[in-house]
Amino acid sequence: MGEWQYWVEQLLLRGEYAAAIMRTAWGWPTVESVHFAGLTLLFGSIAVWDLRLMGMASHVPIVEFHRLVPFSVLGFAINAASGSMFLMTEPDQYIYNPAFHFKLLFLTLAGVNIVVFYALFFRRVRALGSGDRGPAALKIIGAVSIVCWAAVIICGRLITFYRPTGCPPGEPLAFLVTCIIR
Amino acid sequence: MLASFLTWLESTGLSVWMRESPSVFAFPLILAAHTIGLGLLAGIDIAHKLRLLGVAPQVPEAAFNRFLPLMWLGLWINVASGVALFAGYPTKALTNELFYVKLGLVAVGVTLITVIRRPTRRAPRLLAVASIACWVATIAAGRFLAYTYHYLDVTDLIEGRRRP
Repeated sequence: MGEWQYWVEQLLLRGEYAAAIMRTAWGWPTVESVHFAGLTLLFGSIAVWDLRLMGMASHVPIVEFHRLVPFSVLGFAINAASGSMFLMTEPDQYIYNPAFHFKLLFLTLAGVNIVVFYALFFRRVRALGSGDRGPAALKIIGAVSIVCWAAVIICGRLITFYRPTGCPPGEPLAFLVTCIIR
Repeated sequence: MLASFLTWLESTGLSVWMRESPSVFAFPLILAAHTIGLGLLAGIDIAHKLRLLGVAPQVPEAAFNRFLPLMWLGLWINVASGVALFAGYPTKALTNELFYVKLGLVAVGVTLITVIRRPTRRAPRLLAVASIACWVATIAAGRFLAYTYHYLDVTDLIEGRRRP
């Protein structure tokens, strides 16, 4: 794992143009502001969609709320771009950071959940009218999505408290004892 | 007068706990809760404003009222977490002009949530754009608070250790 992480770190360090922007006087806080605006756009639009899947505002056909999803994608794109800029500037602060690892885990789970939804349920959802009850699994998909995105935000906010200098990377037990339980 | 108030506030149990507790449930998770509240309040409101700007036209505007309780939940999460974060570093907040700007922006953003729903409201598109701009400015102000403060605590203030 260590070598792999080192390889990723070296790859990220090639983004020197991004790092140069980030190191200007207000570069870092400005990109942080963009990242937080992106998370707000992503979380708000996906939350409305997820809550509709879970049964809120059920008098409106689910598919009508799908028009909000492109804005979730836009929020995600903004955050993938701005997030990469943090990574290219201080890669070691993320690559060896357990909070960042958990953030990636929840991002992956949210992604798998999206794939399951589009692969197995989207066609049926498109056919649903107002008041129709969709498959019960939709509620689970909505709940998993909103919980995963909230977890992504929480883990992201915790990154700063789990700087690799303070927590032993690559040792799950030591990490639990020193960093989570304390 | 201000210094003695801040000295008292920074000696309260909540303030000391926020600054000094090593627990992840103190400062770190309260800060994370503040971001979740932001997502619920400003995020869902932005979705509603996008609807007013013409996105998802088949969704009745009133359908968004179903999500209002979650937006108010977000607001209360952020009032509570905001009070705790303020209690931890009151000098840092009160001596930074930007803190008052942020509070003003939050007040405008929250007011627009109800104003825009009044049947007599005019220019909903303009108000929707203003509302989104207001939330983005609030977010930026919040982020910049971490970089623009002058005094971290009351000792800094009394001893005149001002950061640029």
